[in-house]
Amino acid sequence: MIVFLEFVARLVGWLVLAPLLPGIINKVKAWVGGRRGPPVLQLYYDLARLWQKGVVLSTLVSPGFIAGPAVAWVAVLGAALLLPLGPVGAGLSFRGDVLLLIYLLALARFCTAWAAMETGSAFEGMGAAREVSYAVLAEAAIITAVLALCVHSGSVSLATMLNPAAGAGAVLLAAGLFAVLLAENCRVPFDDPNTHLELTMIHEVMILDHSGPPLAAILHGASIKLLLFATLLVEAVVPLGGLSRPAAAGVLAAGVLVVTVGVGLVESLLARLAFRRVPLLLTTAFLLCLFALLVAWKGGAA
Amino acid sequence: MTPGPLLLFAAAGLTAGLVAGRRHAPAWLGFTLAGAVAALVAAAQLLLGGAPWEWRSEFAVAGQPLHLRLDALGALFLALVAVVGGAGSVYAHGYWSDRDYPQSAPRGRLWWNTLLLSLGAVLLSWNGLHFLIAWELFTVAAFFLITLENQRRDVRAAGWLYLAASHLGTMCLFAFFAALAARTGSWELGPMRERADLAPLFWLALVGFGLKAGMFPLHIWLPSAHANAPSHVSAIMSGVTIKLGIYGLLRTAGWLPVPAAAPWTLIVLGAVTALLGIAFALAQSDVKRLLAYCSVENIGIILIGLGGALLAAADGSTSLTAGAAWGRLALAGALLHVWNHGLFKSLLFFGAGSVLHATGTREMSRLGGLWRAMPWTASLFALGAVAISGLPPLNGFVSEWLVYLGLFDAVTSRSPAAWAALPAAIMLGVTGALALATFVKAGSLIFLGAPRTAAARDAHECSPWMRGPMVAVAAACGAIALAPALCWPLIARAAGAWQPGWADLTPPASLFTLGGMQVALALLAFAAGFALWRRARADDVTRQLTWDCGYVVPTARMQYTSDSFAGIAGGWFAWILQPQRRLRRPRGLFPEGASRMERVPETVLERLIGPVAAVVMQASLAVRRLQHGRLQYYIAYVVVGLAGLGTLVVLGGGS
Repeated sequence: MIVFLEFVARLVGWLVLAPLLPGIINKVKAWVGGRRGPPVLQLYYDLARLWQKGVVLSTLVSPGFIAGPAVAWVAVLGAALLLPLGPVGAGLSFRGDVLLLIYLLALARFCTAWAAMETGSAFEGMGAAREVSYAVLAEAAIITAVLALCVHSGSVSLATMLNPAAGAGAVLLAAGLFAVLLAENCRVPFDDPNTHLELTMIHEVMILDHSGPPLAAILHGASIKLLLFATLLVEAVVPLGGLSRPAAAGVLAAGVLVVTVGVGLVESLLARLAFRRVPLLLTTAFLLCLFALLVAWKGGAA
Repeated sequence: MTPGPLLLFAAAGLTAGLVAGRRHAPAWLGFTLAGAVAALVAAAQLLLGGAPWEWRSEFAVAGQPLHLRLDALGALFLALVAVVGGAGSVYAHGYWSDRDYPQSAPRGRLWWNTLLLSLGAVLLSWNGLHFLIAWELFTVAAFFLITLENQRRDVRAAGWLYLAASHLGTMCLFAFFAALAARTGSWELGPMRERADLAPLFWLALVGFGLKAGMFPLHIWLPSAHANAPSHVSAIMSGVTIKLGIYGLLRTAGWLPVPAAAPWTLIVLGAVTALLGIAFALAQSDVKRLLAYCSVENIGIILIGLGGALLAAADGSTSLTAGAAWGRLALAGALLHVWNHGLFKSLLFFGAGSVLHATGTREMSRLGGLWRAMPWTASLFALGAVAISGLPPLNGFVSEWLVYLGLFDAVTSRSPAAWAALPAAIMLGVTGALALATFVKAGSLIFLGAPRTAAARDAHECSPWMRGPMVAVAAACGAIALAPALCWPLIARAAGAWQPGWADLTPPASLFTLGGMQVALALLAFAAGFALWRRARADDVTRQLTWDCGYVVPTARMQYTSDSFAGIAGGWFAWILQPQRRLRRPRGLFPEGASRMERVPETVLERLIGPVAAVVMQASLAVRRLQHGRLQYYIAYVVVGLAGLGTLVVLGGGS
């Protein structure tokens, strides 16, 4: 019973808290820009409104156009539930669960790109091509980061992997994972979530033809993914294992807030990169993770 | 029934099919299916724990007494032959029917059964000479199957390349088995780990078997052969026959001592094969070529697992020490991937065959929007695409997960093997992401969007004969995906036949959890898809044109094409892909026409083998000038030759 209640609490936590993050980012951007900005809860209103709306479908699409966002939402939520939450631990932990997490995110990517291609639009094809191509480099970085954590902790399951005090490579890992976070969640400097010029977008251009409840599923899934990456980043870098439960929960929440504000600041202060520069930045992220891996390797040997 | 009578029954069924196939297609199908089922049951008995079956006879073939044996490792491959062989037979009945191909269909049935019989013989022979004979027979049978449509020039060229390359491999294998027989004094095969002097022979086997498996850069024959063969033949070649190269490598590495460098070489070759295979696959615009290159990638994944297993076996002892445990996981992953790839690759080739049958083209940029006309093929192809990209909740993920877990364990154990496992794991990750890009591209270009040509618009769903095997193979994929822990004992028995200490039948605890997660994920995905569909239907659905930046009359030609989709990631591999572009820019105020053509050559073949072959041909042509049919010159050659010999005798005669 306790296990079940804990699971429900965890599920509700992810579902309810996730849409907060884009709101905070937008508030930070508005604040830096000297505007008042939309309310922090704007995404909640949007989701509620979209859920009530009717759907406009392209004449070309198959049922996969709606199934895609649904499966992607399930995959991202599943990945989020695998992630241990600092003091609370993971709901379900097993050897190799980290690989399931990475591949669940890949499944979400497959479904989003597939749904985008359903429409036969050149723009959406462009977005899907960009999404799956840049993900190749992001995947290399994220696997390397996971390997660094594995080497550092001597374990291949998330619960023990994210527990020990961060090693000397924490700064490198943080920088690398932050860049991956920006790329995977389509934030500046990789992508601009606010632009209205299709030629320059990645994620937003893939969902141009979505509307109503499917669009709500996509937006909600994207916010869960952002929260997932922010939590992962904080847990990978900050040694939560040594703290007491309330302290760890507080540190985790504060960490996620710092990362979110950081994303907002990056978005306010940086311009979007030219597309040919994107691979360069992602390769840098990969190299940062690789150096973190080497540091972890050396650190353990000493 | 013991495996013996079942195997006899299988051989009898296939032979009866061989005889009946000439005239009577339904009888052929019945006999062949009965044979395949019998072989499957025999293999299943061994995998479920039966004792190895052995049969010796004094009856000599080619001067050697017959020695047949089936153990769990052979049974693993035999099961794959039976499943894909059976499914392929049913598919061929609809796809390559007497009505459509009155001339080549009977021939195809004949060679199909010859292929299945010789594949079985390869897996059963424990005599080097018989192994070679069966190997050659299956190579030749596959050649005739590839060239069923021999009126087409590219089919003949592909067949010829396949035959030439295969014989290079057979030559290496001949040298390997002959040297083995010369050193041991017998053609009998079996474990001989204590003979350290046999280790260098591994390299010969690596070339011979690696060529059959399609290991980079020996894969040159594979794309054209698999692309140009009839689709059921492509399915069995990609799904099964290249795995026999893996089987050969496994046997060699299990029986003979291997050089210290061999495991490292295998991991490096595997990682390179996987990465470059999928890079080439991504750049293809012909769907069957894409699938063929993807087979190269999957062979790479299997080789990584195999190399890891060898490294762990050399590292630890044969017992289950900590050092060996990760190797066992990697081997289990590789063996399971042999099955998985065999299943989803045949599913995808069947799907590609149905598309080819319905539209007459393999060019993805000429297709599109087929889901409407071919809902079955489209959804089964999509399933195969998810599976082959190694995504949960399907079976490709299970085997890749096992290989990953082996590599990760090697890394965390901080053994020297980590230096191979680290880069291999990262390259496996990159390969997975590229595979995802490849199959999003393949699936969506063929089945989604608007039809790009009239052929694609007038497509029709394939017949039940072709649909049935696809459903069956997809169901097998699903079964492995949802119950991986049930497959573990079968795989473990095969691993135990390879390395006696590794036959631990209890699955790792995490495999149970993973299986549960896969089931949950599959159910939730269905539920969410259904719920969202219901929700979207609840209010009124408006159908509109695709929003193309406000453009009112979008045409099918505005859609993304194969090259444009693969452009970004393909560009990173331009150093090896060497794409050739022909660009005609629009000129003047009223431009008449503009075009951009892109073609990815067979880099290794055209840039490496081609020039060498050209030099050899030049030399041969030069030598050929000596032969012109003029008698007086021939007499002169004889005189000169005699004079030369005479001089040699006179000069050398002193000693």
